Amino acid sequence: MSKHLTAKKIIFYVAILAVWQAVADANFWPNEIFPSPWEVMQDLGYGAADGSLFYGIGTSMLRLIVGLAIAIAGGITLGIFMARMETVNQTIGSLVLGLQSIPSIAWVPLALIWFGVSDAGIIFVTAIGAIFAVTINTYTGVKNIDPHYIEAAQNMGAKGSQLITLVLMPAAFPYLISGFKQGWAFAWRGVIGAEILFSFLGLGFLLNVGRQTIDVSQVIAVMVVIMGIGILVDGLVFKRLENKVMSRWGLR
Amino acid sequence: MVKLEARNIVKYFQHDDYKLKALGGVNLKIQEGDFVCIVGPSGCGKSTFLRIAAGLEKPEEGDILFDDRPVTNTGPERIMVFQEGALFPWLKVIDNVEFGLKIAGIPSDERSQISQRYLDMMQLTRFANSYTYQLSTGMKQRVAIARALVLDPDVLLMDEPFAALDVQTRELLLVELQIVWQKTKKTIVFVTHNVAEAVVLGTKVVVFTNRPAVVKKEVSIDFPRPRLVEDQKLVPQQQEILAELKPEVKKRMESE
Ligand SMILES: Nc1ncnc2c1ncn2[C@@H]1O[C@H](COP(=O)(O)OP(=O)(O)O)[C@@H](O)[C@H]1O
Ligand SMILES: [Mg+2]
Repeated sequence: MSKHLTAKKIIFYVAILAVWQAVADANFWPNEIFPSPWEVMQDLGYGAADGSLFYGIGTSMLRLIVGLAIAIAGGITLGIFMARMETVNQTIGSLVLGLQSIPSIAWVPLALIWFGVSDAGIIFVTAIGAIFAVTINTYTGVKNIDPHYIEAAQNMGAKGSQLITLVLMPAAFPYLISGFKQGWAFAWRGVIGAEILFSFLGLGFLLNVGRQTIDVSQVIAVMVVIMGIGILVDGLVFKRLENKVMSRWGLR
Repeated sequence: MVKLEARNIVKYFQHDDYKLKALGGVNLKIQEGDFVCIVGPSGCGKSTFLRIAAGLEKPEEGDILFDDRPVTNTGPERIMVFQEGALFPWLKVIDNVEFGLKIAGIPSDERSQISQRYLDMMQLTRFANSYTYQLSTGMKQRVAIARALVLDPDVLLMDEPFAALDVQTRELLLVELQIVWQKTKKTIVFVTHNVAEAVVLGTKVVVFTNRPAVVKKEVSIDFPRPRLVEDQKLVPQQQEILAELKPEVKKRMESE
């Protein structure tokens, strides 16, 4: 990133904080309803000091990772079968498109009935919210593989699981990454949403507690954390993965 | 000994509202160690014939016999070299070359011994750790040939592998391929639309008719190697083949 761009960003965020502080200082609304950035920061400090924030982050991240892992494994498998077997595509494929349009939160009632208030229920919502994005991207990726790659590989004796792991998956990898990225975005929204509704530990639960105790600065503090983790994962994990693959394929 | 024998190969392709007859009964015997070049007008079915020999397509009628057994599937004894090389962009040159060996379950030290030999033969040693996008088209075709050779196939099926090359690179590779053929004694079936190329390379040049293709003419070429494109003594054969090919190309133009 250029120095210039960094400077621009810093100025922008400082300006936002300044305006926020000014509005808070103007006392249009009571402090409990519109806290200042400083109070939010203090709340983050309390949360960090008593460990509740880290515990929340850890819980949410663990659920996210397990849910996303399930979604990625299941989505890749499903996507490959859809791309390689016309019947699977015509049947399961149409269902996948339908299921993809269901917001993950809409799975919560079912998850509560099936799994009760448990990690399993939240992980279910996370995974099912993410799996179809992974599936669709995998499908598109495998469909877009230059058929000569597959023919050459088959000619050299590749079939079955070798064909999948040594050719189909690496050949579709640029698409798989978009799948992971979208999957992660759905999973992150899913896990927080589910935690709010399940009200069972994690960052979503902390939001809920904030609401119940009408502690607005806690609510905003947790939201800032959720956003921060989002930015961090996008930038550290996916940007890097993308850059690596792009440069290896000579796509940039 | 006959290595590959095409017996009355007929191939149709289903298009939306009609059936396109690509091959109209191709008969061809290819001896072990032959270097057969197939020429024909574009779209006449040369690639299709090669793909059937590779086992990538199935004919509606007829059979291709490999060592007297009908070809039903692809196999590492018949390796196809595609026009664009079809190299795997996610692998380094060396891993591309070793791909078939890896599939065959050959341990990695043995793999590197074998691949080293062919990387040397194709003058690729310096590029072993490059990715394919870093290579010129000529280098890519070298990799594609090395990748095929490591499997020690009986037959190499080459589909216009030099079509995309610039003149200098092509001439270089024409000589190199002759040397490879002499060293390895492979049976090669080489499709091209370039008569000069066919005459330089082939022990035999086969002319296909316009679609639906059948074999129109077989011309044996025996001159010492390596032959060069500018060799004057090849001109009579070149003329003979062109005389057979031109009316087919004309038919092709008229049918459009
Ligand atoms: N998979 C396919 N589906 C439909 N038509 C095809 C297919 N493959 C080849 N053809 C048609 O068959 C004919 C022969 O093709 P091809 O063997 O590629 O010709 P050549 O290699 O001699 O230029 C062409 O008209 C082509 O359009
Ligand atoms: Mg062709």
